Amino acid sequence: MNGVDDRTGQVRPVGRTSAGIGRVSGPARFLQSARILAWRNVHNFFTNPALLLPAILFPLFFFTAFAGGLSRVQHVPGFNYPNGYTTFQFGFVLVQAAAFGGVFAGFSIARDFESGFSRRVMLATPHRSSMILGYSVAAMVRAVVVVTLLFVVGLASGMNVSSGPADLVLIVLLAMAMNMLAVLFASGIAFRFRTIQAGPLMQTPMFMALFLTPVYVPYELLSGWVKTVAGVNPLTKVVEASRYLLAGMTDEVAIAFGLCLVVGLVLFGWSLSGLRNAERSGG
Amino acid sequence: MSIQETTAPGNGAAIVAEGLVKEFKNGPRAVDGIDLRVETGEIYGFLGPNGAGKSTAVLMLTTLLPVTEGRAWVGGFDVSRQGAQVRASIGAALQEAALDPNLTAREHMRLQTTLQGVPKTDRRRLGDELIERVGLSDAADRKAGTYSGGMRRRLDLALSLVHGPSILFLDEPTTGLDPQSRSALWEEVARLAREDGTTIFLTTQYLEEADELADRVGIIDDGKIVAEGTPAALKSEIGLPTVEVTPERAEDRARVIEALRGDCEIGDGAVHYGVSGDANTGTVSGRLRATRGLADVVRALDAAGLAVANLSVNAPTLDDVFLAKTGRKLEGAGDQTEDEHGHGHGHEGHSH
Repeated sequence: MNGVDDRTGQVRPVGRTSAGIGRVSGPARFLQSARILAWRNVHNFFTNPALLLPAILFPLFFFTAFAGGLSRVQHVPGFNYPNGYTTFQFGFVLVQAAAFGGVFAGFSIARDFESGFSRRVMLATPHRSSMILGYSVAAMVRAVVVVTLLFVVGLASGMNVSSGPADLVLIVLLAMAMNMLAVLFASGIAFRFRTIQAGPLMQTPMFMALFLTPVYVPYELLSGWVKTVAGVNPLTKVVEASRYLLAGMTDEVAIAFGLCLVVGLVLFGWSLSGLRNAERSGG
Repeated sequence: MSIQETTAPGNGAAIVAEGLVKEFKNGPRAVDGIDLRVETGEIYGFLGPNGAGKSTAVLMLTTLLPVTEGRAWVGGFDVSRQGAQVRASIGAALQEAALDPNLTAREHMRLQTTLQGVPKTDRRRLGDELIERVGLSDAADRKAGTYSGGMRRRLDLALSLVHGPSILFLDEPTTGLDPQSRSALWEEVARLAREDGTTIFLTTQYLEEADELADRVGIIDDGKIVAEGTPAALKSEIGLPTVEVTPERAEDRARVIEALRGDCEIGDGAVHYGVSGDANTGTVSGRLRATRGLADVVRALDAAGLAVANLSVNAPTLDDVFLAKTGRKLEGAGDQTEDEHGHGHGHEGHSH
């Protein structure tokens, strides 16, 4: 099928027509590539119940199970969180939901490599690192939706939030930072293994890192090796900062963001080197 | 034109490879020193069984897989050093039509045109043109997951064209398609070369595909090119067409032999009576001489006043060429190769 040149009125082949079209290049092309990849992942998330429902139901289940089933923990001597156990658990579930949302991005990347879709992307865009940004942005959009829904359910179930508007913004930013760390970690695995069979390698370490924080009780009430590990686990600061912000306090917040930045830089290197590894292996 | 383009070996050729090697860790050489030269506007058929190294070669030429040894230039650009420029010049529809089952054809076009840097104002028009070109307008808003194999291949082909590539790599584009879909895709590929002047590098394990489409064919086996040339030249290399004549009366076979002697290489052991296995039929077969055709045979039989029950000319096939070069038939050779190596496609392994 041929098209007709608007200026000359002459018939010309489609392929050659597009060759004549000026192509976007440079940083604009990088951003466009990232944006369209993010669009595709968000589109799939919202149109595919198999992706949408677990992402929403799992955090809600954890929140309901933890906050409801363990509410008597707040009466344990030494439990000094001022806003009650529901809010205390919400602080954790929020971070957990954001983190697992990020891990799901790793699953998407692995699936795309398995199906060959990533080869299409790697051939089409000159900025392959736009893949990392694209999947990250999609994961953040999904996390915003899940976090918002969590807030609605939390508030409806009597969660006591003392945060001001600035604190709420910081909570969301903290969740996004956690989401980003998880995306970078999981994408590093996905780029290296390029198969969905690597899913447990993405999920298990994240699960362990999250559950080796003060999940059910404040850090002061932990004991033994769990306390030792939680003391050096950077995610402890993130979980605690989330809880502090819900109580309208800013303790640990700067440290938490600082740790996210440092760990994020390391994980960005991990993800990028994974991408280079995938490039060397043919995508 | 850049400096690289003018100084690349084989200037003017669309694809050049010199001693191209791909060796996987703990594996054999999937591609073992191939030399290639594909001229601009040519359809080059890369024919070989499964596991022969076709796809690995394509992955290297499309910059998706690093080269272990040797060098290659695509569109005048070095595949190892100028990957971005190579990718800008080429389109590729690789072995699996890598589509997102959740996206429609139009959404795929939106994605592909954006990734390829097509300005926003042109994306929709270009996408619609290409969807129409491959005959998917009626299914443009259906999810690709509902498409047949042929529709998926056609969409994949359309997606590979959004940036107007001058060189197109098609890796087994018709594998698994029904004859009708295969024929439709052949037409489209031929049209791309004929009307758009696109250079096409086509891998296939189908003899008739290479025969039908390719201007030149390279036959690859065990990572090495074992024969290269136009399909006609390759076939003529291994022999001339065979003519087979069955007279109405079996006792006329001696007269048939006599009549054909001028046109065919018969006699001196070249004549086989009853090649069908029934000596009573009097069938005579022999190879046509280089300058002779079917008309000469008919004239000779007519002049001798012979009544013929059956007359056929059997041209050598590319399968005969493959057999002559490798000692194996193309059909089933892939399975044998896999058994020998204990694996299928080389590119499944991890690279060095």
